[in-house]
Amino acid sequence: MAQLHFSDEILMAFADGELEELVAASVEQAMADDPAIARRVADFLRSRRLVRSAFPEETAADVPAALRAAVQARIDGFEPPAHQQEPATPPAKGRATFAGKPPLAMALAASVAGLAIATVSYLAGRQNPLPSQAAGPIALLEDPQVSRILSDSPSGREQDLPFGRVRVISTFRAADGTLCREFKLQASSGTSDAVACRNRGWRITFALAEATGPGAYVPSGGGDLMESYLQSAGAGEPLLDAAEIEALRKTEP
Amino acid sequence: MPAAIGQDLVALLPRLRRFALVLCRSPSLADDLVQGACERALANAGSFTPGTRFDAWAFRILRNHWIDHLRRSRTEGMSEDVTVQTHIVGDAGEEPILNKLLLAEVQQIIDAMPSEQREVLLLVCVEDLAYREAAEVLGVPIGTVMSRLARARKRLVEMTAAA
Repeated sequence: MAQLHFSDEILMAFADGELEELVAASVEQAMADDPAIARRVADFLRSRRLVRSAFPEETAADVPAALRAAVQARIDGFEPPAHQQEPATPPAKGRATFAGKPPLAMALAASVAGLAIATVSYLAGRQNPLPSQAAGPIALLEDPQVSRILSDSPSGREQDLPFGRVRVISTFRAADGTLCREFKLQASSGTSDAVACRNRGWRITFALAEATGPGAYVPSGGGDLMESYLQSAGAGEPLLDAAEIEALRKTEP
Repeated sequence: MPAAIGQDLVALLPRLRRFALVLCRSPSLADDLVQGACERALANAGSFTPGTRFDAWAFRILRNHWIDHLRRSRTEGMSEDVTVQTHIVGDAGEEPILNKLLLAEVQQIIDAMPSEQREVLLLVCVEDLAYREAAEVLGVPIGTVMSRLARARKRLVEMTAAA
């Protein structure tokens, strides 16, 4: 049975309502199948509430009069005092947890909360509360030897490492200009299809893994998911040949 | 003539100040920062794009102002001492789940985090900025926002789970 592995970033993005629909649906499915994943998502929802509660509520009363007066004086210097100024933007009201997020996110949050409760008793009897985070093909993706290949190896070339075989599939720039590479790692523990982006070293931003089972590999629709992820990351056209070499050689900005 | 932003700035003052406190941890320095940032915002009102988030635009100006301050003070040495935030005000209306003890603990954990994690926590979890918006405020790739944010939130959950 094909198994998807989700990075913390992806699960967090799901909890925050930031995932593209197709990827979100796959996370939802994974949560239904694996209580540990549901638990990780629930933890991200909880952490958001904790942070929110921990920061003092901002009120106008907290602003020292001197500061307010100083700023008002500057404003009067720049803008002619007028009593009926149109605000540049409508004032943001109602600081709901998912303000500005699609209603879908809220529905998901509700279902996650339900799942999380159902999960607790299940987890209570287990030795390892987060089995999906245990070392597996995903953990290997962060190995320095993999990073070295990502820095040096042109797309299409396979390289052997002590724990598996790496093949870089493509090189592209994300929407924000970050250099990213899609690659496959075939290890004894399973095969992963992953994206790493260069940001003070290579960081895994997305990974799909199929654990090695007793039977043959089952196609997981991972290709579609990867496509969907790349689209939501705003991946640009692949950099080829000289452009790829040039991009890899350039040091990080 | 750019749109008048004065009243929006005034309305935003409490949140600008809260962000400034997260950045510099000193109330008096925070007030200076906010004032300086407001001046910059007024002088550059034309750079605000109507239809985008005004708060994110102002946060970015505030943060750039802070970075400039840091750059200058690196040679001069920091004169401000770090002041401990004393107010404990919960988000009582929305999340009545936290007792004071847990709240204080969470605040301590966040306070002890590196500033790059504290600021992203505030922008995303409290100010509800999207990852992309937070990335623009901070001037880093969205992947950096996500990795810092995930790390900080995991740590928070791990450290409060034992309680």
